[in-house]
Amino acid sequence: MTLKLDKVSLFRHTDILLNVNAVVNAGEVLSIMGPSGSGKSTLLNAVAGSLTAPFSVTGSININDICINDTPAHKRGVGVLYQDPLLFEHMTVGQNIAFALSPKSALLDKGASEPKLSKKQREKQVSDMLAQVGLSELQHRPVQTLSGGQQARIALLRTLAAAPRVVLLDEPFSKLDAATKGQMRKWVFEQLKARGLPTLLVTHDVEDANAAQGQLIEIETC
Amino acid sequence: MAVFQHITQSVRVLLIALLSVPVFAGLVGVVLPAFGYFPALNAFDFNLGVFKHLFALESIVNMTLLSLLTGLIATALSVASAFLLLSVFYRSSYLNRLQSWLSPLLVLPHAAAAIALLFVLSPSGLLASVVSNAVSVFSSGAENLSNTQNVLPPSWEFPYDRFGISIIVALALKELPFVFLIAVSVLSQPQVKRKFDGYFNSATALGYAPVTVFFKAIFPVVYSQVRLPLLAVLAYATANVEIPLLLGPNNPPTLAVAVVQWFNHVDLSMRFQASAAALLQVVVTLIAIGIWLIGENIIERVQGRFYTNGSRYTGQMFASFVAYSVVASYSLLALSIIISTTLWSVATFWTFPTLLPEGFTLLHWKTTLSALAEPVKNTVLLATFVSAFSVLIATLALEAEALNRQDNKRSEYFNRWVGGVLASTLFLPLLVPGVAFLYGLVWFQLTYFNDAVWLHLFISHLVYVLPYVFISLAVAYRKFEPRYIQVAYGMGKSPWQVFVHIKLPLLFAPLLVAFALGVAISFSQYLPTVLSTGGRIATVTTEAVAAASGSSVRLTAVYVLVQIFMPLVGFVLAWWLPTICFNPMGRYTLLRPRKSKL
Repeated sequence: MTLKLDKVSLFRHTDILLNVNAVVNAGEVLSIMGPSGSGKSTLLNAVAGSLTAPFSVTGSININDICINDTPAHKRGVGVLYQDPLLFEHMTVGQNIAFALSPKSALLDKGASEPKLSKKQREKQVSDMLAQVGLSELQHRPVQTLSGGQQARIALLRTLAAAPRVVLLDEPFSKLDAATKGQMRKWVFEQLKARGLPTLLVTHDVEDANAAQGQLIEIETC
Repeated sequence: MAVFQHITQSVRVLLIALLSVPVFAGLVGVVLPAFGYFPALNAFDFNLGVFKHLFALESIVNMTLLSLLTGLIATALSVASAFLLLSVFYRSSYLNRLQSWLSPLLVLPHAAAAIALLFVLSPSGLLASVVSNAVSVFSSGAENLSNTQNVLPPSWEFPYDRFGISIIVALALKELPFVFLIAVSVLSQPQVKRKFDGYFNSATALGYAPVTVFFKAIFPVVYSQVRLPLLAVLAYATANVEIPLLLGPNNPPTLAVAVVQWFNHVDLSMRFQASAAALLQVVVTLIAIGIWLIGENIIERVQGRFYTNGSRYTGQMFASFVAYSVVASYSLLALSIIISTTLWSVATFWTFPTLLPEGFTLLHWKTTLSALAEPVKNTVLLATFVSAFSVLIATLALEAEALNRQDNKRSEYFNRWVGGVLASTLFLPLLVPGVAFLYGLVWFQLTYFNDAVWLHLFISHLVYVLPYVFISLAVAYRKFEPRYIQVAYGMGKSPWQVFVHIKLPLLFAPLLVAFALGVAISFSQYLPTVLSTGGRIATVTTEAVAAASGSSVRLTAVYVLVQIFMPLVGFVLAWWLPTICFNPMGRYTLLRPRKSKL
């Protein structure tokens, strides 16, 4: 998987916000730093497919050399993680992950031959995913009963469960307390690299960018 | 575009049609007879004879003025006191409590409110009894009065007074909660609230008193946002039928009541006069709106000086006085309404001025409930269908709006135009007097589908229920966290899947509230029910009005209580169901009793 931002420019009305020209390979993280209002979250929206007026984009956004500029958001395979975990409160932890699980098993090696997963297989996948990161006991809990750190972990698991092609991180650690923050950074980047996902990180914390160990683009204020 | 997007876009257009077609068809249906064209009565030539006849009526000026002035004064009173109330409580912790206390009054049917006021304020009502007893207690020491039994009720002209003061009082009391809650809903929008907090902090730092800040900085912004609903209130007040019918003078009545009487006259040729009067009613409502707009204009010119005169405490005392009196009189009134209707509903023999009936019986409840079985069934069935349909249409239309906002490329101008038309169409059935378009609508319906009584009833309720359901739902729908949707799109979920699996469950509570509101609005409809069925289908409200103008006070009391009770059931369900459905947290706390923190 490769994410390529080919001469991408973002506009607010007709004013240019930023220009990006970059290639993010599998397992790499591209960090974008800049003050608020510099258009870095707008760039994520452009990649995710949720750019709204008055913003617009030129250039081409490619995943595996296929331009996705005109692909609807839900067909892009771009997972997003925000600073809030945004777990669905009408579902338990397990249901949140199961909801994200794609009907076809592109995720795990086992059972990939079958076109559609049975209910049992899906449940097994969910509990496997939770077990792998040692959070099995959370499976049937309402999401409101989780700590901030736990919610953040489940949010990432949920994003990964959908088997995205690209992951976007929008200041994902900014609301965590200092102790959790360090652990989460390490854990998130490990997970993303292990799956070989190209990742776009937007942040204004230089520590995030350091931990990501990838390219860094700093946006100047105009 | 996927099928789902196509459907939502079409529903949006359908919503506009559902609201505007009945209103315009209805207007055509009264315009034609008003100008002398009425095929059913063999009248085919257009002329102004009907209007000549109408304006020749001796009482026409009186009726017109009565409608115009009661509507204007009542609306002005309710708007003024609602904003004074808000100016005192807008930053207080009592605001939420006021909101929840005033909400039930919003859904109390006009007919029930009018009947309840009769119980309390009429010369032989509870208030008069209390006053008379108090007087006799105070004077008994001096004169050793023992003949309290023979005291006559005072002869104040409360209901049915010539000048329509009782209409004004009832309308103002009924409309105040609506105006207040609409304004509160504007104030509680997150962005607006943040902005006003800023205004408040900077103005108080300059030494302005909270009430003065409200009128100098906040009121102008809020008012501009609630203008359209206020005009709808005004239009409604000038053309309301239930309240003047139950509390107003009879000879002459208000114009709207006269229209109803003429339309229902045994002499079918009265239909011409009724149609012309219905059009006159539209003009009266337009004049009222015109006067209101002129008033706004004058206030706008004067207020510039008021903002800049530098006074820090303007209105502080007055506003507090009005606000606390309003709260006190509402509490007193609500209490006495509940006490007197409950007592009447179980009273045996009860004469003025004793404070309690001589005995209690459940006979009235038995009689009424057995008579009410059929009307209750009709009412509930109709309200459920109308409200469920409205919630469906409103939700899909709002989803269309949300999808358009996500995708700004696609036919942007057309969508924005549809949005603009929709926003104003919502108020169309509320601005055009019901007496004007409902009769015309009935005429059309009878001409084309005479036997579909339920369909007529459905449509005439829908035009009133749908706008409220939409407005109520729109607040929650437009506030929905867009990142939830983005997260789900990131998982490859289509707009349809997001709508079904994410939006609907997370919006379950506001959906149910909108449904309950729709049910309550349908319950309260009097005129649409009477007209579109020609009396063939009875509902609780039509029976209550019939009872109030005829039979026993005791039975009427039961009707009023049933009317108060029914909408509340809906709201209790709307409050309770979300705690157990789509809520793992609710089940979690239910299953595991709270452990002590040890």
